[in-house]
Formats: sequence, C-alpha cells, structure tokens
Amino acid sequence: MAKVELTSNPFIKRTLKSRWPQLAVFIVMLAGYLFAIVAGLVGTPVGSRNFSIVFVWIAWWAILILVAVPFFGRGWCAVCPIPLPGEWLQRGAVLTPPDKKPKWLNRRWPKAFRNIWLQNISFLLLALFSSVLLTTPSITGIVLAAMFFAAIGLSAVFERRAFCRYLCPVGGFIGLYSQTAPIELRIKDKQVCAACEGKPCYNGSIDGYGCPWDVFPGGLTKNSYCGLCMECLRTCPHDNIAVNVRPFSADLAKPSARMDEAFKAFIMLGSAMIYAGVLLGPWSALKDAAYNVGTNAWFIYVALFLAIIFVVMPALFALCVARFEKFTLFKKRFATLSTALIPLGLMFWVAFSLSFVLTNASYILASLSDPLGLGWNLFGTANAIWQPMLTSILAPGQSLALVGGLIWSARTAQKAANEAQTLSIPVIVYCFIATVVMLWLLV
Amino acid sequence: MKRSELLARILIGAGTLLAIGTPLFVWTRTPLIHARMAENGGWNPDVIQAEVGKPLHLSLTSDDVVHGFAIGQMDMDAVDVEPGKVTDVTLTFDKPGIYTFYCTRWCGPNHWRMRGTIEVSGSSPAPEPVTTIPLYATLDIDIDAPHEAPVAPGVLPTAIRGQQLAASLPISQFTNPDFYHANSPYQLFEALDSTGLSDTEKWDVVSYIWQSNTTPAALANGRELYSQNCAACHGENGAGDGVFADDLARAGEASMQTMNGAADMSMQLPVDFTDAQRMLGASSALLQGKILRGGMGTGMPMWGSIFTEEEISDLIAYLYSFQFEYAVP
Amino acid sequence: MRSRFSLLLLVMAGLVVAFAPLPVQPIAHQERTFRVEAHQFAYSPSELKVNPGDRVTIRLVSMDVVHGLYIDGYGISVEADPGQTATITFVADKPGSFRFRCNVTCGAMHPFMIGKFTVGTNNWLYRSMGFVLLAVVGITAQIKQKS
Repeated sequence: MAKVELTSNPFIKRTLKSRWPQLAVFIVMLAGYLFAIVAGLVGTPVGSRNFSIVFVWIAWWAILILVAVPFFGRGWCAVCPIPLPGEWLQRGAVLTPPDKKPKWLNRRWPKAFRNIWLQNISFLLLALFSSVLLTTPSITGIVLAAMFFAAIGLSAVFERRAFCRYLCPVGGFIGLYSQTAPIELRIKDKQVCAACEGKPCYNGSIDGYGCPWDVFPGGLTKNSYCGLCMECLRTCPHDNIAVNVRPFSADLAKPSARMDEAFKAFIMLGSAMIYAGVLLGPWSALKDAAYNVGTNAWFIYVALFLAIIFVVMPALFALCVARFEKFTLFKKRFATLSTALIPLGLMFWVAFSLSFVLTNASYILASLSDPLGLGWNLFGTANAIWQPMLTSILAPGQSLALVGGLIWSARTAQKAANEAQTLSIPVIVYCFIATVVMLWLLV
Repeated sequence: MKRSELLARILIGAGTLLAIGTPLFVWTRTPLIHARMAENGGWNPDVIQAEVGKPLHLSLTSDDVVHGFAIGQMDMDAVDVEPGKVTDVTLTFDKPGIYTFYCTRWCGPNHWRMRGTIEVSGSSPAPEPVTTIPLYATLDIDIDAPHEAPVAPGVLPTAIRGQQLAASLPISQFTNPDFYHANSPYQLFEALDSTGLSDTEKWDVVSYIWQSNTTPAALANGRELYSQNCAACHGENGAGDGVFADDLARAGEASMQTMNGAADMSMQLPVDFTDAQRMLGASSALLQGKILRGGMGTGMPMWGSIFTEEEISDLIAYLYSFQFEYAVP
Repeated sequence: MRSRFSLLLLVMAGLVVAFAPLPVQPIAHQERTFRVEAHQFAYSPSELKVNPGDRVTIRLVSMDVVHGLYIDGYGISVEADPGQTATITFVADKPGSFRFRCNVTCGAMHPFMIGKFTVGTNNWLYRSMGFVLLAVVGITAQIKQKS
C-alpha cells in the first residue's frame, strides 16, 4: 500500500496551514482542561460524578488509546492545551509573531536530558499512584495543574516545547506508539531541503515559528517526536512538507536502537499487565496495597512493580536475545528487538482500556449534565444510571486486540531481527507468553 | 497589534474566564450539606438554623458512600443521600426546639454517630410539651445491672398453647400494660406458680400474655425497624453476630477501659437476643431504657431523640419475639 | 505451492480452534447457593464457579457500607445494606466467564470492586489462547521455511 498525501488536497492543506481552525480547537481544549482542574478541586470528591475523573480518565483516555494513538499517532499532541500559555508567552503572540525574537530565556535543553528517561520517570510517578489518581478528583486536579504550570515554567527558561518533548508523562508513550500509526508528516523531496537556505522550518520565519518540538523536519523519518503542530507546514518556503496516510507501523520497519525507548516499551507493557491484575482482577489484597499509599503493603507493591518492569521483564527479554558478544552490540540488538514490544504494548493497553471504558462510559452522560456534582442538570442526563455498555463484545474485542497485537508484534520482531541479523523466534515466544498471561488476566 | 491577534486574544481570554469563572461562581452559590462517614467527619454542617413555620430547604450530598437523611421523631420519609448526587428536602417545623437529624443507611460501624441538630427558633401557639421521665427511671430500675433469669424454658414457648391454658386462669392482673412494662417475663413465670401448671405450660402462658401486649402490625413495624437499625450489629437473627460485631469486640479489647479492668462498660459484642435467660429477665421498661439511653461507651447507640415511643415499643415487642413463638394470624 | 498449502492448513486449524465444539460433560443441574461478603473494595469469595444450567442463589452480605453486585453479561443486580442480606436467584444459562461488579458507589476504589463468575468452562479464553498458539506456530513455520 503506497502513501497517500493528504495535503495534496487543497482544502486540507488550507485548513492545516491556517491558524484559526487550530486556535478554535485550542480554545475548546484549554477551556475543558481548566474546567477539569476547577471541577477536580471544588467539585464533589466522588470520582464517578466529577468531570475531572470522568472526562480525563474515561472519555479522554478512551479517545486517546482507542482512536488518537492507533490512528493519528501524536494526534493528541497536536491539540493538547498544556503547552499553550507557555508558548504564547514565549512568542509574545497567539497567532503569527510580530517579530522573530524569542522572549524570555530561551535556553537549550541540557544534553544529558535529551532523551525520554525523564518521561519514563514521570510516567512511573503517575503509575505508582494511579489507584489514588484515577479515583480522587482533587488529586487529578492537582496533577493537571502541576503539568500546566510546569509547562509554563519550562517555557520561561528553555526554548520551544521543553515540557512536551522531554517531561510530559503521556508524551513518552504517545511518541513511542505513534510509530504504529497510519499518519505521518514528512518532507517530499530531500534535495529541496539540502538546497534550502536558513532552514526556516527549524529556525522560524515571518510566517511562523521554528519547530516547537526541536525536530529538524527535513530529517524526520519517524513519528516519535513530531507533534503534528503544523508549524513547518507554514514556514517551509518550498512547499516541501506533506502529511501522508501510510501503512500501519511503517516506522517500525526501521527500528531504532535506543535504550530509553526500549525501557519505555517495557514500562508500558509491564504496567498494562500489572494494572490488568491489580485493578481489574478479583484480588483484594493487591487493590488495597495499590491504594493505601504510604503503608508497608504499598511500598512492597511499588518495589514489585519496579522490579517487574525494570528487572524481570527486561532480563527475560535479554535471555531471548543474548549471544556471546560485546556488550555494546548486545545493547544495540536488545534495543532493536524491543521494538517488537511496541505494537504488543499498544494492543495490551487497548484491551485493558476497553474493559473499564465500556463498563463506565455511562458516567459520561451524567457528568455532562452535572460536572461538579452540585445538583445541576444541564442536558437532562444527570440521573442517567450506570450501565455497562456492549458487555457482549467486550471479551471478543479484547481477544481480538490481543491476538492481533501478537501477530503484529511477531511481524515487527521479524523485521527487527532482520535488521539486527538474528533470530526472531525467541522474541516471538516472549510476546506469546506475555499475551497468554494478559488473556488470562482480562478474559 | 494586528486586529486578528487582538481578536484571538479576546477569544482565548473569554474562553478561559468562562471555564474557570462559571463553575467557581455557581459553586460558591450552592450551599450543600455534605454527608460523610462518621470517621471522615459526619455531617457538615451539623448544626442548622430554622424558624417555626418557615420552610427550610436543604440540599444534601454524600462525599463518599450511600447515606440517608431523616429527622428524629418527625413524621417524614427518610431520603437517600447518594454519592455525588444532590437530594433536595423541604421541611417545615411548627414547634420550636432542637431536632435531631440522622443517617438512615448503614455507612460503617459508626453510622449511628452520624447525627446533627436543627435548632428551630420562634414561638408556637401550642403549649410546651411536658418532658416525660422514662419509665425505668420512675421504677428505679438499674438498666446496667445484670438481669439474667435463673431458669429458661427448655423449648420455645408457644403463644397458642398459652392462650388455651390461660382461658381458664385468673390472670387479669397480669394482662394490663403496666404489668408488662414493669415486669420481666421471668417475674410473670414466677407469679404463675400458684396456678399449678408445669414449667413448660407456665412459659406458654407467659408467651401468650406477652403477645397480647402487641399486634401483628406492631411486630411487623418492629421487624422493619430492627432490620434497618439493629441487625447490622445484633445480627439478622438476633444472635449478636451482626457484621459489625467483630469490630466492636476488637475495639473493646483495645480500649483503655478494658485495659483498666472496667470491661463491662467498654465496647463489646452486641447483646444476643436469642439468649433466653438474659432476655426473659428483662422487663420492657428495662429494654426501653437501654434503647433510649444507649450503652454509655459499649457501642450501643442512644435512640432517645430518634425513635418515637411507639416505635420503641414496637421494637421491644419484636425483640421479645426471639424468645416466644407468636401465633401468626 | 507449499506456502499455499501451509496457509490453507493454518486457516483450517484456525476454524477448528474457533468453532470446534468442546466436549461437554453432561452434569445435572444443581441448586447452588453462595454467601458473598462485600466490603470496601472486594468480594469474599471473589471467584464463583457453577455449571451451565445451575440455579444460582447469591446472598449478598454487606460488611461495611451499602454495596451492590451486578453481573456482566447477565445484566442482573442486587443491593444490600449492612444488616440486611439481599438475595438474587437466577439460572446460569449463559456459559463463559463474567465479571461481577459493585453497582452502588461505595467509596474511592468502587470502580475496581470486581469478582469473577464462571459458568462451565471459560471457552472463550481457551479458544483465544489456541488462536495465539496457532499464530505463533504459523509464523514460526513461515520463518523456518524462508531460512
């Protein structure tokens, strides 16, 4: 299947290049985000009746993991409101800049942190407290506000979207999984970029800003770090940027060999399995341990959580790829083959999320009418009863996702093994065992 | 600044202000009464002011689990107070005084402590009600003293047999309510010595006379009150083995009173109403006293401000039915 | 030619895994009663197993606050206050594995108060595992063929 260039359609190109449609979406998202913070802080402490829990952890999460990431890669990043105030303040404008001079400090992000390790850590920080975060509106409100102000603060010190690129807990896995998506932003012709003077796509021009994601669009080969903000579409003087539809997981045909990304894959795979067991399983001791932060049981839970994702799972994987060789070569092969875990992890999260989304989606109706639990009834649905949806397709849907995920990851393992000139079968067996465990936990 | 930039900034500002301002504004104008489990603070606020004759509008919400709301000794249907939802109640008081409101859905072992007061001011045309002294005080019964009957019936006494036996007995002095209030079933058993009946037969007569002090409707009401208010500790079958019994016993073991040797007035297992000797040695005045006054630290709630006299008497009739086989009409 | 043949074999194996009727032992329908305690935030016992066609009675005993019990797939539910055991009786006519959950908000971790109700064998799980195994075998064979 060949690539189809969406931006060859003049209407699509005009819409993406114009700042007004994007601004309209930004205003809605920003308003919703701020409303969620207020709802979390002053609304009812009952999670299922508070906009912040229902619209962040049920509605937004469902759209993110079931639609946005698999089909649009970093599509959420394109509309996320978190970086906006910081960026507007950085630029001194909300539309096109009057001048190119950046405000504030505009420092370069330190070299040592130019990787996704900070994002791995920030994701884990949320993950270890997830039982409390997912159920307590005030905590969700505080976390949303913290990310908001962290982004503003980082924009005051560093150039571009430092929070998005290097700190955002969600951005870490969206970036990793965006490699599987059928949408991409790439240049059309390499020679044009080679001949281009000034590279305004990266450095900015009167038409727009340099890439906020600190990516050189001319060198984009993967979706991982492009936030689909369309800035380069506006600045490129040679009309050399295109948004294309392409086959799923095309990026994984050229696997990267980065350890930070490899461990992100383990973090996501492991946490999906742990959540399936702890949150959706029938074992009360695990739930108590996960929820009662600060108790001995919780510390044990944290220790086991970290051991599983940082020690057990990587160690078993290492056994699957080990050979007698230099450590640097082994590291490269380990990281390359771990790309097989990307589609697997995505489908694990899809299967896991289907369960609690279909079960609790009915809360969305009630929350639309009474977002703060104050007794409003804006659309007449405030008393909609809780009713799990489509439970008959839940098990089939989960199985389909997991079986599909295994086949997808096996194919990816084959391609990665070709790159690394090794056998893919041990990795496939690893994925098989993980899938069987996840099936048993969920179905 | 370009016009488009200004317009964009205005739109952003308006959106932001609406998103933050609207909920905050409405929130400050929505006074709610929050219900929480007693361990987490109970009712907030727990004192409400009202005036005689003026309708009082209350908006109630729960911050954690299912609660309920009712006012003690007032003829109103209890309403549920559900987590994250708001229940509106309008009350009108025609007499001044202090009314107790309380939670009506079990929300933990301290559910009964979830109470508050409504202070109703103003004057009323009706005369001030006379405060009645509870019967146990008038009769000078020590309701904390042990009241085990020395003997208990071997089988469950049957009221029907008792009725047949009583037809030919001079028992008029035992069938008036004053006797029932002031005496325990065992005392009646003793008083029947002169009739020459066997022990089993005497107990049958006692059960018949006890049943005649109540009605099927009252027993049904007592059963409902029991299951809603008492069964959680005292057990659905009256055996003192309700779901909170273990919590109470554990609290008792850990309490300072027990450690100081004063075990009998510390938290303890709820009374077993199937314990024949204990129940048959208690007069209804004693039981009424226990229910009105509570257990003074034993974990038994005081119901004086909550139940009406009729409700307590229905409840007592039901409690006795654990000891007697009452005829079903 | 060979790869066409192995593809056909794979598809047929897949159909077998998906649709082959598993041996069902004829077990007489029984009356089953379970006393399930509900507390924040789990059921005890949290896993119930019956045979298809059994008449199941669940007696829900709430141990601390008002809890409910809703069974996925069957769509039936019951609610109990502490001190007032609630009972529900139904015929387990749908085979498979179903989660049961609390349907009365009972505190923070309420959405994760979950138990598992299995009627007969969890065929869906075994078929899915069969599929997964088949996929791995197929892909492994294909890799071996190529090399």
